[in-house]
Amino acid sequence: MLNTENWNDILTQVVVEALEKLAFMFAMREDELSDVPEGLPLTARTSFTGPFSGTLVLSFSTQVLDELTANMLGVDEDETNAEQKADAFREALNVVCGNLLPAIGGETAVFNIRMPEIIRSHKQPAGPPAARAILSIDEGWCDVKLFVEGLQDD
Amino acid sequence: MALNLLIVDDSAVMRAMILKTMRMSGIEPAEVHEAGNGRDGLAVLKDNWIDLVVLDINMPVMNGEEMLDHMQMDAEMKNIPVVVISTEGSQTRIERLQHKGARFIRKPFSAETIRDTVKDMLGELC
Repeated sequence: MLNTENWNDILTQVVVEALEKLAFMFAMREDELSDVPEGLPLTARTSFTGPFSGTLVLSFSTQVLDELTANMLGVDEDETNAEQKADAFREALNVVCGNLLPAIGGETAVFNIRMPEIIRSHKQPAGPPAARAILSIDEGWCDVKLFVEGLQDD
Repeated sequence: MALNLLIVDDSAVMRAMILKTMRMSGIEPAEVHEAGNGRDGLAVLKDNWIDLVVLDINMPVMNGEEMLDHMQMDAEMKNIPVVVISTEGSQTRIERLQHKGARFIRKPFSAETIRDTVKDMLGELC
């Protein structure tokens, strides 16, 4: 049986570090919030299989993705296009997932991670996530949810 | 000596970021070639003199490990230095790549890590 006790903390730490190293963006954990205070229009997901399987879902507000893309490329925000933003979004999710899974599953565990895809927010898995991190970034938000198959049945 | 670089990653943003970070760390390639998958990467290697390959693992068409295996089987490609820059988190897989002769850097990476790894691999070339 998986011990998920500190997964929220681990997920938060992984996301904070990924944003900082990828894009010099500094995110603050919002412990008081049970949900983001605004609808986040941009969502991406990736699924994985391994010792346990599931889905990681990442949502950003528009200004966060704009800044992420510009910073990753080292250009001004008005120099980026929609394709680059989608690419940066998928890559950020890829980095978070790649760092999260060994942190919760162990360094020797072998996971296969599918290519991230951008989705409409209603296409997220049903049910409560096994872990969640809500972060504020400048004037925007980031919401990351980890869903693990079979966990709710335990 | 001029450094001819090949970056293989399915993300154009990540390829740009790797190049930007290398330049920030003081490495200025003479030629930069890019590919979005391992098959295209091998095509670049066939037609160009490349001093260093920077390689992602999880890519469509042909992944990075498959490309590395193809390079190992080619007399002209097998000695080209390879650094894998990937989100791969399994120590088992990382060690397998290292046994194939590649150095490994996990994403997200710092300019210092790229600089130290590349300079360690190539010495005075850069």
